[in-house]
Amino acid sequence: MSLSRTHPSWVPYFFIAPFLIIFSVFMVYPLLNSISLSAFQSYGPQFSTFVGLDNFKNVFQDPDFWTAVKNTLIYSCASVMIQLPLALGLAMLLNRPDVKAKGFFRLIFFSPALVGLVFVAILFGLLLGARDGLVNETLRHVIPGFPAEFFWLQRYVMPALILASLWIYVGFNMVYFLAALQSINRDQIEAAMIDGANALQRFVHVILPAIKPVAGFVVLLSIIGSLQLFELPFILLGGAGPENRGLTLVMYLYQNGFEQNDLGYASAIGWILAIFLMGIAIVHRRLTREEL
Amino acid sequence: MLPHSLSPGSFTILTLAVVSSFFIFLRDDPQEEGLEFWMFAKNHYVMYQEEFEKAKDPKVNGDLIAYGAMERRLLSGVLSDTPVPDLVEVQLTMASRFFSGPIEAVGFTDLRPLLEAEGLDKRINPASFSPWTREGRIFGLPHDMHPVMLGYRADIVEAAGIDVNEIETWEDFVRILTPLMRDFDGDGTLDRYLLDLWETDYFGIEMLLLQAGGWYFDRTGAPAMNSDINIKVLATMVHWTTGPSRIGVNVPRFDAEGNRMRLEGGVIFQFMPDWYAGVMQQDVPGLAGKMKMMPLPAWEPGGRRTSCTGGTMLSIPRRAAKPEAAWEFAKKLYLGTEVAEKLYQQAMIVSPVIDNWDEDFYDEPIPYYSGQPVGRLYLELAPEIPQRVPSAFMVMAQQSMINAFIRTRRNAREAGVHEVEDVLDLARAELDAAQTLIENKMRRNTFLNPMEEQP
Amino acid sequence: MMSMKFIERSSQVMAYVLLTVCACITLVPFIWLGFAALRNPEVYFDFQFIPRVRHVQMMAAPEDSELRKVWTAVLPSDGMEISAAAELVGADLVNRARNEHLIEYRNGKVAWDMMSLQYFRRLLSGNEFPFVRSFLNSVFYASVTAVFATLFCAMGGYALAKFEFKCRTLFTRIVLMALVIPGSLLLAPGYQLLFKLGLLDSYWGLILPGLAPAFGVFLFRQSMLNAVPTELMESARIDGCGEIRLFFEMILPMVRPMLGAFLLITFLGCWNNFIGPQIVLQTPSKFPLAVAIAQLKGIYSTEYGLLMAGTILSIAPVMALFLLLQKEFISGLTSGAVKG
Repeated sequence: MSLSRTHPSWVPYFFIAPFLIIFSVFMVYPLLNSISLSAFQSYGPQFSTFVGLDNFKNVFQDPDFWTAVKNTLIYSCASVMIQLPLALGLAMLLNRPDVKAKGFFRLIFFSPALVGLVFVAILFGLLLGARDGLVNETLRHVIPGFPAEFFWLQRYVMPALILASLWIYVGFNMVYFLAALQSINRDQIEAAMIDGANALQRFVHVILPAIKPVAGFVVLLSIIGSLQLFELPFILLGGAGPENRGLTLVMYLYQNGFEQNDLGYASAIGWILAIFLMGIAIVHRRLTREEL
Repeated sequence: MLPHSLSPGSFTILTLAVVSSFFIFLRDDPQEEGLEFWMFAKNHYVMYQEEFEKAKDPKVNGDLIAYGAMERRLLSGVLSDTPVPDLVEVQLTMASRFFSGPIEAVGFTDLRPLLEAEGLDKRINPASFSPWTREGRIFGLPHDMHPVMLGYRADIVEAAGIDVNEIETWEDFVRILTPLMRDFDGDGTLDRYLLDLWETDYFGIEMLLLQAGGWYFDRTGAPAMNSDINIKVLATMVHWTTGPSRIGVNVPRFDAEGNRMRLEGGVIFQFMPDWYAGVMQQDVPGLAGKMKMMPLPAWEPGGRRTSCTGGTMLSIPRRAAKPEAAWEFAKKLYLGTEVAEKLYQQAMIVSPVIDNWDEDFYDEPIPYYSGQPVGRLYLELAPEIPQRVPSAFMVMAQQSMINAFIRTRRNAREAGVHEVEDVLDLARAELDAAQTLIENKMRRNTFLNPMEEQP
Repeated sequence: MMSMKFIERSSQVMAYVLLTVCACITLVPFIWLGFAALRNPEVYFDFQFIPRVRHVQMMAAPEDSELRKVWTAVLPSDGMEISAAAELVGADLVNRARNEHLIEYRNGKVAWDMMSLQYFRRLLSGNEFPFVRSFLNSVFYASVTAVFATLFCAMGGYALAKFEFKCRTLFTRIVLMALVIPGSLLLAPGYQLLFKLGLLDSYWGLILPGLAPAFGVFLFRQSMLNAVPTELMESARIDGCGEIRLFFEMILPMVRPMLGAFLLITFLGCWNNFIGPQIVLQTPSKFPLAVAIAQLKGIYSTEYGLLMAGTILSIAPVMALFLLLQKEFISGLTSGAVKG
């Protein structure tokens, strides 16, 4: 990689200027501002009182916050533990040399990711109806003794969210895995086969190391994405749901900032979340040791 | 950008950007003249249409807005200077959002001077002002009183030869009516329940609390989640929704599945504030002539036979463009006999304006409710309507109560108990926790406790 | 040898079966959505997919004299259509008989007359719901943001990838750090900023903050590092090509797939963005589809068909766009990861 040196000196500044100006105004400034904002209790943008570090203290003392942390972590774990293995399995099926119509299947599996979360929430709100929902009706046919009403959206909120998220994201993540699998040299696998390696050995010794960088990226993406879950439960449950079973961290932020109108408190929550995410990113980098 | 750097798809997006910008900049956004009036209730919207059309100087533009969206828009309007209407109907729970800042940040006009100058405060049922009053300022004109009765499937009850006049207390209610519950398909779960009461539905919960004399807050506005009355009511509700003593079922309102249950007789008795009596007529027309009303059974003999729920005020935002015209229209809409009649006939809501109570139209038999004069029945209960203390922490209290219900019920199930006496301690523990939670959140709000110094 | 081939063959069949099953599960919600939007309200709840003509079948003799009427009316022609039975004895009684399990319904032929485009017509007519307006708002918001964000990111990525200048390392570091800043952190301070700038309730308040995604600059920087040879830039300069012409005529075509991918990624993100417009925009005539449809849910809460038709109309355009850009989109999406 070489860099241009024969250009007039204004050129790089000219090209980076539009991005940099907007980035500074709408990203850097609010980010810095939110540090001071988090030291105030506010009521809308026009009323505020200085409270020092009380916002952070109160966040940590609020049981709702810990409920949100718990729910968000459960969802996040499920995303990584259930979604990604399914996605990888699907990608491996699709990557078989003897499977045709790859593009067709990929298109189908990917399509739910195009549907906005608002629309997914509206759709699943009906699919998961307690009595007449398609999911329950199907389960009644499959599982004998399945109850006449099953309250996904009142009682089994997390399973409902995870179910919806599977529909949206399995295909999306599969696309990444598939791209990684396709970049593996088939000769390597065939060489392993000739050496007598069985399917499991081939998976562990050839495929897994080859897709490790992509897998690392997908895991990070899933964790960061799932920790910011908000729209899906917000529309699906019309809020946090009974007993705050669908309360997530970003919803907690939204409720405090835009329902209680305390922008200061919301900023404090935002920083807690941001620091947590940055921590994860650093740990992730340590673990994968990949240079960006 | 030159086309050869663009694929067909990219080119499409670029074209869309150019064409849509062209349209957006050419399009003139409707700048409507006249009063802006926001509502969240569909039946109000339908009902006021005639008044809107009659109003000429100025004209009135009614906007029907979904509840959640209106809350957001109105908050943004009064706090962040985005557009506000001249008049807006605000529901009780929604109103609490506007009361959690400093008093000068409440975005509505204080109507007390106007009301007193015109002697209007004496003409309206005093209990109806209570939810809209903070620190002596009245932020809205009350729309209603919302007394509560029980609506029931007369066809089912009468076919069983039961006379509801024999029911005076909740105890009678359970004893006399329990035989009506049914398991039609023999699958071991009931298909017909007595009462629309469920842990996730604040509707019945609040009405039972208020009827018994309990509430989330005491008269001074301090939290009173764990009062003895609340504990007793919660334990009873758990009793009614758990184990063999279960009589309650979840029947969602404004929901097609719930309406089908009503139609099919999945529930016999429903809590019926006056407004819901109107909604039933529209949403479940199939029950015409099969419904009747009775006063709520009392908690003890001679006790209160009604309750209260929700409620709406008509407010003039402080940033309204035409406050005088808005006030004139508000009076016409809310105080007149004509609209009171329409309000009753189309939405079954009885007026909080005392002069209107003698009107004859409240005595007319209502075919949907088997010819009962429903309006008169509600008005007879009006003096008993409980007062409510407004609070910025209403939503939180509501949620905490629901959570306490869910947890107590779960704990009761796990402990294998369902009798009221056995549940009392479980209920107390949950309500104590709810009390602490709300006390903590209230202490945190510096706008509401400006005098309090940090130790 | 035979058995080896057999195993291979059968595992291929298994793969196809599994893939097909998964594809079906993925498609079912879409199909359900389609039929839900087409079914008439009278039969909405009676069927999950295609509405059928229903026939009455007697199960047990009723004791109740009232219900006996159903029995006598239906018995002569067992399996009569429900509507015919309802005409004879009244729909109420038929329902009651069914609730008490004296009769059962059996599905017959497809009831074509129970499906219609009425909900689509209602939405598109614009009397109840400003569909065309919200649609235009969505297109405007999504496409303008996509075009300018892509342009600015491509320019920024170009500067960081190909030029030696003073703050290059610093800027690159900042961009990399911004990648992990969650968008939700900016909600509250961003709202306050828009308030101060007077941009609340305007399109600019929605579009401007979306024009500088760090992710985009990062993607373009990565792809230009590899795709653009510096020697070519130098020789173009010697030929007297201006810097701006150089960028548009030589550099951009080299990252053509990334342009397509990032345009679509941004377009999709804006089209489906809910929380941003919900907070920033407050005038209904400015609402994009996602917000408008979500509000439809509040008002027409019992008209599920209408809601479903609205959902279809909102997701169809992005599906179409995706078909156009599929290849680029997927290669762009994965390039960030695969090249790492």
